[in-house]
Amino acid sequence: MRPEGTTGELVSDWSLLERVVRKDESALSALYDRYSGLVFSEAKRILRDTGAAEEILQDLFYQIWKTAERFDAARGSLAGWLLVAARNRAISRLRRKTGKTEELDENGVSLKIDLESTVAQSLLLDKVRTVMGSLPEGQRQALEFAYFEGMSHTEIAEKTGQPLGTVKTRIRSAMETLKQVLS
Amino acid sequence: MTNGGHIREEDLQLLALGALPEEEYAAARTHAAGCAECAAKLAEERGRAAMLALAVTQEKPAATIKAELFARIRAEREAEERYRWPTKSAVEETAKTPSAERPAADGKIGWWTWVLAPVAAVLLVATVVEWRENQRLTTELESTNHQLVEMVNERQRTEMLVDLLSAPDTQSVKLAGTPEAEKAWGMVRYNPRKGAVLYTAVLPTLPADKIYQMWLVPAKGAPISAGVFAPGAHGTRQLWTAEVPMNLEVKAFAVTIEPAGGVPQPTGPKVLVGAV
Repeated sequence: MRPEGTTGELVSDWSLLERVVRKDESALSALYDRYSGLVFSEAKRILRDTGAAEEILQDLFYQIWKTAERFDAARGSLAGWLLVAARNRAISRLRRKTGKTEELDENGVSLKIDLESTVAQSLLLDKVRTVMGSLPEGQRQALEFAYFEGMSHTEIAEKTGQPLGTVKTRIRSAMETLKQVLS
Repeated sequence: MTNGGHIREEDLQLLALGALPEEEYAAARTHAAGCAECAAKLAEERGRAAMLALAVTQEKPAATIKAELFARIRAEREAEERYRWPTKSAVEETAKTPSAERPAADGKIGWWTWVLAPVAAVLLVATVVEWRENQRLTTELESTNHQLVEMVNERQRTEMLVDLLSAPDTQSVKLAGTPEAEKAWGMVRYNPRKGAVLYTAVLPTLPADKIYQMWLVPAKGAPISAGVFAPGAHGTRQLWTAEVPMNLEVKAFAVTIEPAGGVPQPTGPKVLVGAV
């Protein structure tokens, strides 16, 4: 059940995933312990519904169990896929409520950031929160509407009363800031 | 949207966030699906956008969610193992192993076939018998349920009768035959508080297209039906009950002969009448 190896070193996501392919429950358990908090918190923030967030969390890890062999290290990071998939599924639920039907794409997520250890996660959590806290209000709001509410830039423009170009610029500037801090 | 045939960087960011309007979103996705360069950039933008998830307050899911997940996985594994078909490799492995239990390779039927065939036949017969027994039990159960419903209805009716007959404010009204049916008679018990009527009558049998109908004649307004009834063979005493509007001031009861099925207001001759 330990995510670390016998000598205490961290076992990578892909090593654990290989063991999941061989139907090793302890490997799935280690991945769950590693990422369930991130996935659950994200889905709950979007849906504001504990039960629905739990459902998404369980479905994603069940999908990993059933289709672990389809995950390809060359196509991206498992942590990235989990976060994108959790977000997309939560947004899809929101959109079904509002009658929007287009599905979001969760294939191909490149994440060059380490999220495998608790320490790395903790450092990154601090970093992202600091970035978000430092963004001008308009940029932060536009980014949150897009990411957590699943709104398009035209919808954000309508909601905030800002011109479309301004909304685009705000989102782009915010993403650039995030890019610089994370790199 | 395009920049030298590729998706513009700002649109890649919006695409990664899912923030492009529906039509632009579909076009950009289609392009990325066929363009390795844009697909790689998009994957990078998606990874970066995913970091926004870390901005939210972190919460741990309930421990029961993990327990449920693993219970689901184990239950499925057990079911798969129980009902697993032999895999190709298992079949090949069996083929490599000489065994008295394998069918003869020369096409002759193995001895076990002679054992399994009758067993299969017995199982088939047992299945048919069981299915028939299930059908019989289902029919029996439905019939019992029907009887039970009737018993409950009968009990409720009896309770209503006892309640009506024992109530101190229940009125008794004797009905006398008119010249249309001089020998006929009847009795009505009526409780205005409960809006309940109970009556019996001895009347001649009617042709099939006619029926008797009981009426309450209020002090004000038109008569109110208390139901239709058809007495059985001569001398058979029957009781009929009806629910009528509560707290009516009734001045009389009457029975008329009406077309089968009854009518909203009396049209036929009176055969029984009685004043309250």
